[in-house]
Amino acid sequence: MSHSVSPHTSEKAMDIVNNVKASSHRIRNSIATIFGVVALAGCATNAPQDTWQPKGDNAQIINNLQWIVFPMAGVVGVLVFALAAYTFWKFTDRGQPIPSQSHGKPIVEIILTIIPALILTVVGVFTFRGIFELAETKDTEMIINVTGQQWWWEYDYPAQEDQGITQPIISSGQLVIPVGTKILLRETSRDVIHSYWIPALNGKKDAVPGRINLLRLQADKPGIFAGQCTEFCGLSHANMRMEAVALSKEDFAKWVANQQKAYTPPADGTLAKEGEGVFLNQCIRCHQVNGLKKADGTPAIAAPDENVYSGAAPNLSHLMSRNTFAGAIFDLLNKKCRSDVWNASSETIGEKYLAGVSESCLNANDLRGWLRNAPAMKPMYADPTKLVKSGGKYRGMPNLGLTETDIDKLVAYLLTLK
Amino acid sequence: MSTNELTLTPGNALDVAKGKLVVAPTQSLGAVRRPVNTTGWREWLFTVDHKKLGIMYGTVAFVFFIIGGVEALFIRLQLALPDGRILSADKYNQMFTMHATTMIFLFAMPMAAAFANYFLPLQIGARDVAFPRLNALSFWLFLTGGLILNASWFLGGAADGGWFMYAPNSGPVFSPSNGVDFWILGLQIAGIASLIGSINLIVTVLNMRAPGMTLMKMPVFTWMILVVQFLLVFSLPVITVALVLLMFQRSYGATFFDVSQGADPLLWQHLFWIFGHPEVYVLILPAFGIISEVLPTFSRKPLFGYPFVVFSGASIGLVGFGVWAHHMFASGLGPVSVAVFSMATMAIAIPTGVKIFNWILTMWGGKIWYSAAMKFAIGLVILFTIGGLSGVTHAVAPSDTQQTDTYYIVAHFHYVLFGGMVFGLFSGFYYWWPKVFGKMLNEKLGSWNFWFMVIGMNLTFGPMHILGLQGQPRRMYVWTEARGGEGLFNFGFWNMVSSIGSFVLAVGVLFFIINVIKTTRNPERAPLDPWDARTLEWITTSPPKVHNFDRIPVVHHLDEFFHRKYVEDEVTHTMKQVATGEELVRAEEAAADADIHMPGPSYWPLLLSIGMGVLGMGVIYGTPIMVVGGLIVLFSSYGWVLEPSVPDAIDFDTPSTDGHTKEIAPLG
Repeated sequence: MSHSVSPHTSEKAMDIVNNVKASSHRIRNSIATIFGVVALAGCATNAPQDTWQPKGDNAQIINNLQWIVFPMAGVVGVLVFALAAYTFWKFTDRGQPIPSQSHGKPIVEIILTIIPALILTVVGVFTFRGIFELAETKDTEMIINVTGQQWWWEYDYPAQEDQGITQPIISSGQLVIPVGTKILLRETSRDVIHSYWIPALNGKKDAVPGRINLLRLQADKPGIFAGQCTEFCGLSHANMRMEAVALSKEDFAKWVANQQKAYTPPADGTLAKEGEGVFLNQCIRCHQVNGLKKADGTPAIAAPDENVYSGAAPNLSHLMSRNTFAGAIFDLLNKKCRSDVWNASSETIGEKYLAGVSESCLNANDLRGWLRNAPAMKPMYADPTKLVKSGGKYRGMPNLGLTETDIDKLVAYLLTLK
Repeated sequence: MSTNELTLTPGNALDVAKGKLVVAPTQSLGAVRRPVNTTGWREWLFTVDHKKLGIMYGTVAFVFFIIGGVEALFIRLQLALPDGRILSADKYNQMFTMHATTMIFLFAMPMAAAFANYFLPLQIGARDVAFPRLNALSFWLFLTGGLILNASWFLGGAADGGWFMYAPNSGPVFSPSNGVDFWILGLQIAGIASLIGSINLIVTVLNMRAPGMTLMKMPVFTWMILVVQFLLVFSLPVITVALVLLMFQRSYGATFFDVSQGADPLLWQHLFWIFGHPEVYVLILPAFGIISEVLPTFSRKPLFGYPFVVFSGASIGLVGFGVWAHHMFASGLGPVSVAVFSMATMAIAIPTGVKIFNWILTMWGGKIWYSAAMKFAIGLVILFTIGGLSGVTHAVAPSDTQQTDTYYIVAHFHYVLFGGMVFGLFSGFYYWWPKVFGKMLNEKLGSWNFWFMVIGMNLTFGPMHILGLQGQPRRMYVWTEARGGEGLFNFGFWNMVSSIGSFVLAVGVLFFIINVIKTTRNPERAPLDPWDARTLEWITTSPPKVHNFDRIPVVHHLDEFFHRKYVEDEVTHTMKQVATGEELVRAEEAAADADIHMPGPSYWPLLLSIGMGVLGMGVIYGTPIMVVGGLIVLFSSYGWVLEPSVPDAIDFDTPSTDGHTKEIAPLG
């Protein structure tokens, strides 16, 4: 099985892996011709959250199981329906006499009990193995802490020298990982239960407050993989997405270097510099930008716990190195630039992603709309009358009542947060 | 004393059967009076007759079915197009919460209770249930619970946490409106109704079967209802505990599910699903029971493997208590628990498979009559099989971690619950309508009803398999084209098909309503044995008299009624008719028992239920209301206890003179 081969192997080993995969693909493809073709023909192409397109070892383990149980269920279904259809046709009332009142044959019952039991035993054995394979965490190469909060995800990379991460990195929305590396997500939540799900890389695992749940991820090739919070988490559950961005190891190192880069204040006299002032006046109450200093030169420290019920707000350092904001439901990239990244080949995607968001690529419309009136774009409990029970604290970004000029300035400033 | 000396008070609604008397209270005496003169609306409000209560259960449950269905149509309208704008996020969350809550607690369970109430005493040859007043209390409490649940729409918004109401999202901060409080109280009150009902039916089955009806001669419908009542008795207390804890958290500042106080939110999930999974079988087993009556009747053969069907039903019930954590495969239980529950879940597929094979083999070699009832029963067999097979795909826990909380699951359980349960209930409507109302539902409209429902249901829920496997999560008030894929068959296409399908389905249900109206207006009476049926409920008039049976039948066979009509020719082994159903009913009437004792109506079940409702409102709106509610409950309880069982000496039952055991319907 391909997943038992370490991804840290040479090219040659990778070839073997690919051969194994190819042959198992061949077997699967032939099953597909009898079982799946008709069904698959009715499916969307390139659905980003397709559960049948594994892009990493963990999802592959699941996919192998799906390719056992679905065809089996399909074959059993077809046989049962054939038997039923024949019965309906054959024993229609055509004036035959009332049949003998037979109460059944125990031997038939026993056979019909044993057959499904045997089928399920086979499925059970494979399932058993899959469960324990997917729970294995000893071979972890990199740890990322993932925290769910209404309605966005935070990623916290602890310092891991061997992965080139010399100081902790905090990000949100998009999870950036190196390819061919066994990643272990340590999930928790700050408020209600959420669930982390990148179908191309693994099944879902709930982020439960007060607990830490582990989820393995590994991507074979560079690419962007879509996901969505899948445990109902309240008002804006639908607006809590995430993406995993797998970069080659070299590109990942570049990403890490950029995340660890010190803060560069905008040049004096620019619009961005005025935007920094607006940020210090408004946004800093909840949003941290690492290295940002107040006018008097002291560090500007955000205090989201004083304003947000769940206790945190996305850290905006290097905001423009991400492609999305507000729970990954809005793109920071405009349509054209976004499709450039999403449609890039696995060879070029790293370069395109690392370019970040430039002024010409910015989706200014959504970003400005968000700054103008966030609750109008994403349902959140920002209405003061509903904050009684949370002690006056917000559950989501409120309408800050910024002027259009302030918004111009802020956008200019945010664009400097590369 | 001779029966001729007894006279009924004028206006007493109870029957006089062929010169014999049905004995009922004629005067209201004692400390707390008992209604004796009940006609018109009083006849329904104060009744303790299991048949009237069954009809009331069915009517109210059907109204809730329509309400839940309209909620479903709102959901499908919202999701027909990407970024739907028909409902706000808040309203959508309330809509799907209430759709599930209504369909499960206010339609499916009470509709099964309607069938159980009406037919279980008839199938076992009893004159009523063991505790008729408790039976009435069950109904009124259910109605109170249902009204409280739905009142929330008009009092600040309905519950918005999903029918599973996971903690801590159900806490006072995360769900600030009163919706969840209404939900908790409505379900607690409806839960009391189910619990009382289950004890009542268990006692009825175990103690009141006709002479000769051993457990293994009991009709399968009654068997399945019995299994369901045991599931309820053991599972309802668990959800009640959870609901009470949540009520104290929301209304009185307790911290059972408050993580900041050290609570583990998975506690709620365990409590909920320890109830919630047996609940699935509570919903489906009555439908299994119904079609286990319908398939043999319309195949003119006994149920294939009766003991296997009975025991597979019982083992489904038993194993159903050991699979709850398969709802929690993604919650971080650890591999050992996941493996155990994964295997247990696969195991439950075996008895379920046994049932499906037995149903098909019942038809095998039969003489199949495709009536509307039979069509719905066959619909169940096929659609439930699809739902069962998709169920096996998520018994494979790793595969489930891809499927759970996607539309694939929505597809699965709607095949099981709509294709299974609802089709079973509709089969029951067509099968038993002539028994309950004495009129036949129109078969042609029934056919339209069936085909629109079966096509609508497959159009609605079939595409959800594809949507789910391609990654559309459930419980989202909008879906986005950004995750919808490309090509003709993208999410837009399938969501639209599903939404159109839901309206086709609604038209199917509309055909049923039209059919009911048409049938009610049609003066033509149904024959006494329209289907050449097999079980005891057909050995009496349609609708049955208030005392059900003129003479309590003595049972010799499984399918007693059929075996009184037909005998097997010793030589040719073909079945020879020796009597018609009509003749058998007339024979019973001719030999009617003297002095049949029936329980009288009562005020207290209704009043006690009103008190419970007021008490519940007090939890939300303050102590004074609670005190008022409490006083009503206290007063009604005393009234109940002190109510004279029978008001007059002449109403006491006289001992049987013909040597037969007399059927006694104990009071309240």
